[in-house]
Amino acid sequence: MSPADLVGVLVEPFTEPIVQRAAAGVVLLGIVGGLAGCWVVLYGLSYAAESLAHGSLPGLVVAVAAGLPLLIGTSGGLLVAAAAIALVARVPALGRDTAVSIVISTMLGLGALLALAPSTPRGLAALLFGDVLGLSTADLAVGVVVAALLAVLLAVFHGRLLAVGFDRETAARLGVRPGLVELLLLVLLGLALVVVVPALGNLLAAAILIGPAATARLVTRRVPAMLAVAVLLAVGSGLAGLDASYQLSTASGATIAATILVVYLLALGGVMLRRRSAPSAGPGGPAVR
Amino acid sequence: MTVLEPFLFPFVQRSLAEIILLSVAAGLLGSWVVLRGLAFFTHAVGHGSFPGLVLAGGLGLPPQLCALVVGLLFAGGLQRLSRARGGAYDVVTALLLIGALAVGVILASDVFHSGSDVETLLFGSLLAVGAQDLVLAGVAGLVALAASAWLGQAWLATGFDPDGARQLGLRSAAPDALLLLLVAVTAIAALTAVGVLLVAALFVVPAATARLLTRSLRALQAGAVLLVAAEGTAGLWLSVRINAPPGATIALVSGVVFGAAAALRAPVALIVASRPVSRGG
Amino acid sequence: MQWRRRSAAGSPAARSPGSDEASLCEVADLAVGYPGGPIVLEDVSFAVRAGMLVGVLGPNGGGKSTLLRTLLGDLRPRAGRVATRGRLGFVPQTDRSRLDYPVSARDVALMGSLTGRPWWRPPGRDDRRATADALARVGLTELADKPFGELSGGQRQRVLIARALVQDARLLLLDEPFAGLDLPGSDRLLQVLDDLTADGCSALVAVHDVDQARRWDRVLCLNRRQVAFGDPATILTPRVLELTYGGAITLGGHEVEDLAPTASDRLARPGG
Repeated sequence: MSPADLVGVLVEPFTEPIVQRAAAGVVLLGIVGGLAGCWVVLYGLSYAAESLAHGSLPGLVVAVAAGLPLLIGTSGGLLVAAAAIALVARVPALGRDTAVSIVISTMLGLGALLALAPSTPRGLAALLFGDVLGLSTADLAVGVVVAALLAVLLAVFHGRLLAVGFDRETAARLGVRPGLVELLLLVLLGLALVVVVPALGNLLAAAILIGPAATARLVTRRVPAMLAVAVLLAVGSGLAGLDASYQLSTASGATIAATILVVYLLALGGVMLRRRSAPSAGPGGPAVR
Repeated sequence: MTVLEPFLFPFVQRSLAEIILLSVAAGLLGSWVVLRGLAFFTHAVGHGSFPGLVLAGGLGLPPQLCALVVGLLFAGGLQRLSRARGGAYDVVTALLLIGALAVGVILASDVFHSGSDVETLLFGSLLAVGAQDLVLAGVAGLVALAASAWLGQAWLATGFDPDGARQLGLRSAAPDALLLLLVAVTAIAALTAVGVLLVAALFVVPAATARLLTRSLRALQAGAVLLVAAEGTAGLWLSVRINAPPGATIALVSGVVFGAAAALRAPVALIVASRPVSRGG
Repeated sequence: MQWRRRSAAGSPAARSPGSDEASLCEVADLAVGYPGGPIVLEDVSFAVRAGMLVGVLGPNGGGKSTLLRTLLGDLRPRAGRVATRGRLGFVPQTDRSRLDYPVSARDVALMGSLTGRPWWRPPGRDDRRATADALARVGLTELADKPFGELSGGQRQRVLIARALVQDARLLLLDEPFAGLDLPGSDRLLQVLDDLTADGCSALVAVHDVDQARRWDRVLCLNRRQVAFGDPATILTPRVLELTYGGAITLGGHEVEDLAPTASDRLARPGG
C-alpha cells in the first residue's frame, strides 16, 4: 500500500457527516480537556478529577431522567460530590484518599441504582462510557461556549493559579486567596466535564483531562508551553482515537481513552530511558508540585 | 413480602453466606486499608481486574483467576511505576485505571460482544454466586486472619511513623508488599459480590465507619468485620425487596451508615480543634 | 520548682576506674551537608561515654538535628569520622507520628522490638517483657494501655524513650524533647533522663533552654560549627553563648555579620 493509499484510508472516516460532527466534538473536547487538565495535573488533582467525574453520576442520571440539561446534572453532581469529599476529609482520622473512596463508592452506588431503575430512558452504558458519535448540535454549541469561557478564565487567572500551585502559603502572603483559587479550579473542572462526559462517559472522562496534560508536563518546562502541548496532544489523540475506533470497529470513547493512555506511556518511557542514559539532563516539567 | 421472606430464597441464602464469609477478609484488610491509606490502591485493583474478568468471560476461563492475574500485573506495574516517577504517582494510577476500564470495554463490546455483561461486572452479581465463590471467600477470610496476626505489628509501626519504623530496623519492603498483595487478592474475592467499581463499599467504607467509632486496633478490626456483615446483609435484603442490583444497594447502605456515624462523631472532632490532624492521606 | 541537681553518685567522675570507660560515641572533625547542598555543620569533635547526659545547644538551623541524623546514619559525613558502639535509639518529637492512630503506649513501645528481629518474625514473649520493663523504667506502667494520642506531651515523650529502651539502645538521641512541655512534664522527663543515665545509658539531648543543660555532664554548642564542648560549669560563658546563639550583632555602629566561631574561640578539646 503506497503512502497515498494509507493516508486515504486514514482520512476516509472523516468524509462521513456523522464522523465529521464527532470530530468537531473531539476537537472541542481536546481544547477543553487540555486546558483544564493542565491545572488539574499541576495541582496534583488527577485522582480527584477522576473521582469527581464518577461522583457526578447520580446528578447525571437525575438530569437525564428528569429531562434537565446535562450542565445542571453534571455541575450539580460535581458540587455535591466535592462538598461531601471536603466534609469527610475534615474528619481527622481519615485521609483525603479515604474520603474520596467513601463518597465516590456511595455516589456510584446511588447512580447505578437510579440508572438501572426501569424508568430511566438513556441506557447506563451510554452514561458510563459516552457516545461520541451521538453528539448533538446542542452538545457542540455548549462545547464552543465552554471552551471560550475556559480560555478566558485561564488567561485572566493564570498568575494566581501559578502562584497558589507553586507555594500556597506564600501566595496567601502575597495577597492571593488560595481558597478562592482552589474553588476556581473546581469550577474549571466542572466546566470541562460538562463537555467531556457526553462524549467519553462518566467513567472515562478524566482520561482527556489527565493524560495529555501529564504528557505535556513530561516534555515542557513552563506552563504556557505545557498548555499548548496539552491541547495539541488532546486534540491529536482524540482524532486518532476516533479514526482508530472507526477502522477497528471498537467503542469510540474507550478507544480515545486508550489512545491517550498509550501516548502518555510512550512519553513516560522515553523520558525514563533518557534519564537513565543522562541522569542530570532531561526536562523535569514545570516546577509546580 | 414479609420482612424475612427474602431470606427464604436459596439464592439469597447463598448470597448471605457469601457476604458473611467475605466480612472477615473485607473487615480485617479494610481496617489496614484505612489505617495505611490504601483506599486508592484498592480502588485501582478493582479497576485493574476488569479486563481480566472480560477476558475470562470471553475465553471461558475461570473469572477470579483471570482477574487475579491481570489485577496483580496491574497492581505490580503500578507499584513499579510509582517508584520510578514518585511525584506523578497519582497521574499514572488514574490513567492506568481509566485505561483498564477502556481496554475492558473495548474487549467486551467489540471483541467478545458481551455488552450487557459489562454492567454486571462493574456493579456485581451477588445474587448469582456459586460454591466456588463461597470457598474463595472463606479462604480469603482465613488468610486475612493469619496475615494480620503475623504482620500486623510491622504494618502498624510503618503506618504510625514510617521514618521511625525504618530507623527502628524495619527496612524490608516485604511486609508492605505482602499487604498490597493481600489487599489485591481479597478485593478480587469480593468482585463477584459488589463488582469492579464498588470494592470500596466492602473494604473502605465499613472500616472507615469503624475507625470513627473505635479507639483501639482490636475494636477497629472487630467493628469493621461486623459492619461489613451487617451492611452487606441489609443491602442484600433491600435489593431483593426493591428489585435493585445488590452491589449498588450495599454501597448506598454503607455510605449512609458512614454518614450517620460521621455526623455523630465528627462534630465532636471538629469542635475539639486542638486535636492534632493526621498527616496527609 | 527547682531543677534537680544531678546526683554526684551518678556522674561519670565518680565512677571507679576499670568500669566501662570506652566511648559509646566518638566524633572527630565531622563535616556534614545535605545531598547536593553545601556543608551545614563542620568542625565537630566530641566523645560520649557511658552514663553521660549531654546537652546539644544551638539556634534553629545551627545543626542540632543535622548532627543527630548523622549519628543515626541518615546522612553521610563529608569529612571526619563518626564511631559508635552499641545501638543508638532515636527519640523524635511526638508530633512526627500520628496522634490519632489506634495505638496504646504499650503498642508504641513494642515497636522498638522491630530492631532485634527480622521482618517475618512477629513480636514474642521476650519482646513483650522488654516492653513492660521499659515502660516501668520510664514510669508509665499504669498508663501502658491508654491510647497514645490521649497522653500528655511529656508522657508521649517518655513512651518514645521506652521504645528506644526496648531497642536495647545504649545511647539515646533526643530531638528537643522538652518542647511544649509544662513544668511538671519537663521535670518528670528530666528525672527519667537522670535515672537512665545513672543506670549506664547515655543521652544526647538537643535542647533550646540553656538552663536545663547547665546541670548536665556535658554540653555541645553548635552554630553551623562546633563552638564548644565540655563541662557546662566552665564552658557556658557569655562569650560562648553569644557565639552559639548570635547572628548579626551591631558593635559600635557597625554590623558585624559573621560571628561564627574561629579556631581560636574553641574552648575545649574533645573528651574534656
